[in-house]
Amino acid sequence: MMASRGRQHKVIDPRIWVIFLPGFLFVVLFTFYPMGKMLVMSFFDWNIGYNQTSPYVGLDNYVRVLTDPIARTAMTNTFAYAFVTVPLQMVLGLCVALLIHGISRLSVFYRVGYYLPVITSWVVVALLFRYIFSNAGLLNYVLTDILSITEDHIGWLSSRWSALSAAMLLGIWKGIGWNMVIFLAALQAVPKTLYEAADMDGANRRQRFFHITLPGIRGTVMFVSVMLMIGAFNTFTPITVLTNGNPAHQTEVVLTWMYFKTFDALDMGYSAALSMIITAIIVLFTVLIFYVLRRKGEGA
Amino acid sequence: MRPKLILTFVLLFVAGFFIASCDETTGDTVTIEFWHNYSASDGQIAVLEALIEDFEAENTGIEVEHVYMEWANLKNSVVLGAQTGVLPDVLRGDIAFVPQFQSLNALLAMDTFDDYDTVRQTVLAQPNSSNLMDGTYYGIAANTNTKILFYNETLLEAAEVDVPTTLDEVWLAAEALTEGDVIGMVEPWTGIWNVGPYIWSEGGEVLSPDNSTATGYINSATNVAVIQKLADIYAAGALAGPSMDPGAVGDTDGWAAGTYALQLDGPWRGASNNAAAITYGATPLPAGSAGSVSVLGGENFMMFEASSDPKQEAAWEFVKFMVSKDAQVEMAKVGQMPVNLEALEDPEAIEAMPLLPVFAEALLTARARPVIPEWSEVENIIAAKVALAITGEKTVQTALDEAAAEIDALLAD
Repeated sequence: MMASRGRQHKVIDPRIWVIFLPGFLFVVLFTFYPMGKMLVMSFFDWNIGYNQTSPYVGLDNYVRVLTDPIARTAMTNTFAYAFVTVPLQMVLGLCVALLIHGISRLSVFYRVGYYLPVITSWVVVALLFRYIFSNAGLLNYVLTDILSITEDHIGWLSSRWSALSAAMLLGIWKGIGWNMVIFLAALQAVPKTLYEAADMDGANRRQRFFHITLPGIRGTVMFVSVMLMIGAFNTFTPITVLTNGNPAHQTEVVLTWMYFKTFDALDMGYSAALSMIITAIIVLFTVLIFYVLRRKGEGA
Repeated sequence: MRPKLILTFVLLFVAGFFIASCDETTGDTVTIEFWHNYSASDGQIAVLEALIEDFEAENTGIEVEHVYMEWANLKNSVVLGAQTGVLPDVLRGDIAFVPQFQSLNALLAMDTFDDYDTVRQTVLAQPNSSNLMDGTYYGIAANTNTKILFYNETLLEAAEVDVPTTLDEVWLAAEALTEGDVIGMVEPWTGIWNVGPYIWSEGGEVLSPDNSTATGYINSATNVAVIQKLADIYAAGALAGPSMDPGAVGDTDGWAAGTYALQLDGPWRGASNNAAAITYGATPLPAGSAGSVSVLGGENFMMFEASSDPKQEAAWEFVKFMVSKDAQVEMAKVGQMPVNLEALEDPEAIEAMPLLPVFAEALLTARARPVIPEWSEVENIIAAKVALAITGEKTVQTALDEAAAEIDALLAD
């Protein structure tokens, strides 16, 4: 009986192909093909347009990216953005999730409240942040005209690191809600019996968190850190709206620089090489995060 | 069940094939697609639609479908279209697009039409020069503009500052007007569109006459002195702009709030100041040691190689209609400065654009930016280096030397 059922599974109804193929072809055509094409483009001085020849240049585009001071600035800014926003979003998101997890009243109210920034438009909130941090903005108004802490307006968006800090703050504020929702779901999946056993053993709150909660949500931590890392490398709107890479490309991140090189300079080969380098970095980080967290898990 | 399913797919495929293969030029009607960035808020699109109706009535058998795109989107769509073949039959876009699109091999040489020269004689020569590359015209001027010095009369009166008559007086006025929340001058960007007029008016150049090199031109002593002047007034708090300082108030917001007193800008500044009820005046750029040389802006009509012959013929008829006196006067009423010589002197156009005589005077000496495919990148290099120089991140000489070296490397490729 079992054997015959197994054989039946091997016969594939052709209608399955009809359902499967459109989606599969869509993904191949619009995801895998462009990715492959981009890899090819990165080895050519790619010229777009009619009857254009694109000479093969080997690794020249990669060399140009790696020796370009603005690409280095953009890379440094992106790393800084990722290293600040990813851990802070996770820690704050987890804290909020723990707080909400522990309350029974008004839980939905808090969940909605914290999730609101996530569903608001990036452009709208980035514009709001620009109005807060600009020279004649809300923050300077409060500091100079209301609190009289400083006499002159502070140029929050005028220099590289202070402008990036504003973008980071925006990224963190907007990301807490998403982290909260994911962690809240993970917390609910940690078996209650473990906490009961810990109570009987006399474990305090700190011990319960580090020995039960954290190991219990390790898989989620891994997932969230990978997703946030990818998200941090894809940051575009906050920088475009807050500074547009100014002054003199000093606040550029990899995506804004790539967009500039693609559509302003039409330097397709360079942009393709930059994309491949970013892809490699993200893959490397993903592997690293999995490796570190898995080892920690095995050690625990 | 299965044959029915197959039959359905075959029918869908055949139907799709027929829909896709229906040529828009079948029958007697030719439909042309027109991409543009006329502004809806200024009423330009309404005027365009009325003009299209008139054109279609005069030219039975031609239909025009217009598509609005915002500036950057218009440019990006053509860049992508050059690869995919999805292009319009006519485009009205920034004069700076011509060399860039021509480098994509996408543009049709417009002077291949027999009567191109006749039409060319009816429009201003200077704006139309932005279509000329290697002896071939790849477009025709659609409308033009240049920049003149706008000043906030209220702020000038309050500070007892006279309207400047020389470039040196502009710098002095900017500093004199800077007081409290008022900032003397605003420059939203630091490309040649912005600093070019100051450089040219003092006798400086950006590239060599054959556009082959920047060294010795962009980093000349004259240019260093001009940018140093801008750096000095920036240091004094008398110059602001988001590309030098992303925290600075944008120019339109700043004018409306009465923050900015002076700006070298185009016709749109008049419109936005009117909307904000600002009392302002305007004069051609006060002369430097080499005269008053502003920068040429505006838009051109372009056509594409990818269009079929009947569509190219129809598109050319439409372009001729749009540069004719009547159409240009109608567009002048909604803020588009005419290129048609007769329209420029038309009383209706002058009444609609009170600043037209000021702009017309500035246009006599205005210069186009170099018409080379690499221009966009060249100007971006200059913008970044000049921003570093003005903000004091680098000395002016170092920043301009770096710009010269980078531009030379780019032009040598």
